[in-house]
Formats: sequence, C-alpha cells, structure tokens
Amino acid sequence: MPMIEVQHLTRRYRDRVAIEDLSFDVAEGELLGFLGPNGAGKSTTMKILTGFLPPSEGVVKVGGFDVTTHPLEVKRRIGYLPETPPLYPEMTVRGYLRFVASLKRLPSRGLDTEVERVASLTGVTHVLGRLIQNLSKGYKQRTGIAQALLGAPPVLILDEPTEGLDPAQRAEVRALIKGLAGKHTVILSTHILPEVTMTCERVLILNQGRIAAHDDLGKLAGLHGPSESASLEEVFIKLTAA
Amino acid sequence: MRTALAIARKELSLYFTTPWAYVVFTAMVALSSFFFAALLETFQQVQQMARETTWAQMPPEYDSYRNLTEGVAVQLWGTVIIITLFVAPFLSMRLFAEEKRNKTFELLMTAPVRPIELVVGKYLGGLGIITATLALTLLFPALLSFFGRAETGTALEWSTVLVGFVGVLLWGATCMAVGLFISALTESQMLAALLTFAVLLPWMLLTSVAQASEEPVRSVLTYLSFDSQLQHLLKGVLDVQSFVFFASVIAFSLLLTHRAVEVQRQA
Repeated sequence: MPMIEVQHLTRRYRDRVAIEDLSFDVAEGELLGFLGPNGAGKSTTMKILTGFLPPSEGVVKVGGFDVTTHPLEVKRRIGYLPETPPLYPEMTVRGYLRFVASLKRLPSRGLDTEVERVASLTGVTHVLGRLIQNLSKGYKQRTGIAQALLGAPPVLILDEPTEGLDPAQRAEVRALIKGLAGKHTVILSTHILPEVTMTCERVLILNQGRIAAHDDLGKLAGLHGPSESASLEEVFIKLTAA
Repeated sequence: MRTALAIARKELSLYFTTPWAYVVFTAMVALSSFFFAALLETFQQVQQMARETTWAQMPPEYDSYRNLTEGVAVQLWGTVIIITLFVAPFLSMRLFAEEKRNKTFELLMTAPVRPIELVVGKYLGGLGIITATLALTLLFPALLSFFGRAETGTALEWSTVLVGFVGVLLWGATCMAVGLFISALTESQMLAALLTFAVLLPWMLLTSVAQASEEPVRSVLTYLSFDSQLQHLLKGVLDVQSFVFFASVIAFSLLLTHRAVEVQRQA
C-alpha cells in the first residue's frame, strides 16, 4: 500500500483554480521531488496533504487515513516544514522544540533526548540556548527542519527546505534529507533543479495546477530529452513552457 | 488536555519574555494607585466634614463614606473595571493575530491538535495573564486593612472586598474571551485591540442607552449591560444571575472563536 495516495484532488480559491484533478501515489520510503514554476500549486498541494487546507474535491490518504475524515491520525504521521519556517522569535531553540514536541503529544519522558536527537541531526545543538530572533537565516531554517523531524514521523513534507541557505548549508541539508529517505517518506519541493537531481529518485512536475510529469528521474530525462544526456532543466522548461 | 496546557504555558511564557506583561502590570498599578489616592482623599474630606457636624446631618449620598470598605475599596473596584477595559485588549490582541502574522498558525493547525484544545489553551493563557494583572490591585485593600482603623471591628470587611474582586476577575475573563475571538479574525494586532475596545466599551455603556429608552427595550438593555451586571458583585453581593450572564458571554465567545479557527482554514 502506498504511504500517500492522492486521487482527483482539486482546490479552488473562490473562482480561481489552484490545482485541478491531481492523482499520484508515493510509496513508503520514497523521496519525491516536487517541482514546478511559482504559482503552480506546490504549496497548496502540500497544505492539503498536511491537513491545513481542506480539499475542494478529491481524496487524500496518508498511511491509509483520509485527511478529511481522520485529520488527527494524518497529522500525527506528518512532519511539515511550511514555506516560511513557523518560529516564535522570542523563544529559545530548546524552548521552541520542546513546545512543538508537546504539541505533537510526544511522551514527556524522553522528550529532552528527542530534542537533542533532532538538534544534532540538523546541527543546531550549539544554538539550543539562543533566542530564535538572534539566529541567522540558515539556523532558523534548520530549526524549522528540526521541528518537522521531532517524533520521527513516517512522512516528511518539506516546502523549499533549502531556501535562503548558502551553498555549504544547502549541501548539508541535502545530505540530511538524503539520509532520511528509506526511514521516512519524503516530499520535497524546490525551485532548484540540481537539488532534485542530487537528492530525489522520482519527480513530480506541476504546471498551472496540473501534473506535467511524474516519473523516475532517469526515465524522464530519456523520454523528453533529445538525447540520453538531457538534463532535468531542459525537461522542466519544455514541460512548463506551454 | 495536556496539549491545551502546553499552549497555555507557551502563551504565558511569551507574555513574560516580551515587555508586554511588564508594561501592562505597570499601567494597571500606576493608574489604579492614582485613583486609589484620589478615593482616599475624598474619603478623608467627607470624614472630616462628618466630624464637624454629625452623620445624621450629612446628605444621604455620603453614607457610603462611613467605612473604608464601601467608601474606598468598593469604589476602587469600579475604577479597576474601567482600567481593565482599556488594558485587556492589549493583552488579548496577540493571542491569534500574532500566530497568523508569524505563520505559526500553520504549525498549530498541522500538529495533531484539535481546534478546541487550541482555543482552550489560548484562553487559559489569556486568563492567566489577566488574573496576574488584576491580582496586583489586591495590594490596595491590603494597604487599607494594614494601615486603616475603624470605629468598630476590623478596618476592612474582607468578604465584601473579595466578592468584589471576584466580580473584577469575571469582568477580566469576559474581556479576554471577547478579545480572543476578535484576535482570531485578523492578522493585525492593532486592529484586534481596537475592535475589542470598540465592542467592549459600548457594551459597558449600554445602561446609559437603556435610561434613554422605553420599556421593554429598557429592561433588555439593562440586563445586557456589563455595567449593571457587575453592580451587585462589586458591592459584595454574590449574585448568581451575573455569574450565569458572564459565563454565557465567555462560553459564546469561545464558541465563536472555535468557529473562526475552523473557518480560517477554508479561506
């Protein structure tokens, strides 16, 4: 059974259609790259998967649970990093992570160990005592990722996790995400194409609210490119040009 | 319930890590001490006048100045109510508006937390901070009972004062509930504070509208006015009807907040 099932998903904002009739599956342990130009509906889809937005039509199931009828079961299984990391500037990193852990209903015994674990995974251990408002953008982003990892949820949904990081930090976060695949099912959205080639096995390209492509990375380049060596960038531009 | 408490704890700790709590505490104490001093002054003058003549010859409206409880403490609660009206919107405005501005609302809504736990947690946090603010005003009756003297018995009738304080707390709790709902409607904290004030003040002043109108509108308006509902409690009379009234306003506000949080996701 796939970890995430999306069937005929449509979302309208008043009369504007953000996504239309999306259907796709994500298998357990898969790392799916979510691509598309700005405004293609990536964030909207992610917000629906996490139960933040209700779908206008269609069915979304995570771990076999329907988002609309069993929202709590779904939310318990997902770690989510929104586009803007949801941080409280006046809190310390430790205080923030402890708060999110209690929101996620993690048992209070072992809570500190769990905070230490995600902090060391994301490399924020040495800033745990600092106020979030005094952190650099990179550390804020990492704190956002750490928050998503709390409680080791089976599904991770990361909306542009490398946004605002410098090249070195980007490489670190990429390595971190790659290490998560297998243990977690990951959906990762990004604008940065080389990032997808480096981390993901499968990609889903959205354009104007519809699926333009959903395939293994290797096959995609073969199908659409003029030659075997066609880059993802060429495929992307070709598919989203319409 | 544990999650609601975690949210309440977070709210309280944010009030105390930002200057908000301290600014509001200072405003509350400074303003009420100003009125407290003025009340003492009047009390002294009336007592002086009474000593020169007799209480029997004094106009009847001065009767409440015969003891500190009615002459100062009860009247002090009346002014604390007004100060609360101005101060509470500044405490309640951030409860939801800040979460939306910060984009942390998304975190709360994608965590396995029921909207009702979120609303209750937020409200408990707000209740905590308003209780702390109002508790500071107990200092004034404490001063009275420490330094004051009466012709007979203790200087202050604590039972009356405490029932009055319960009334003040009920009022604070109502302000926070209304403020919580309005904060859930907007992203702007300033707008939330202003709107809360714009709702509470006319509601408080309904009595004056009532006096200008005719029956049966008059009785309805008088019943709905915060001011007239508080009168008995502030004077130290435990009035079940007012409890029911304020509890209903609070419950209704929380219900509306819950709806507002749910609807928010559809937008």
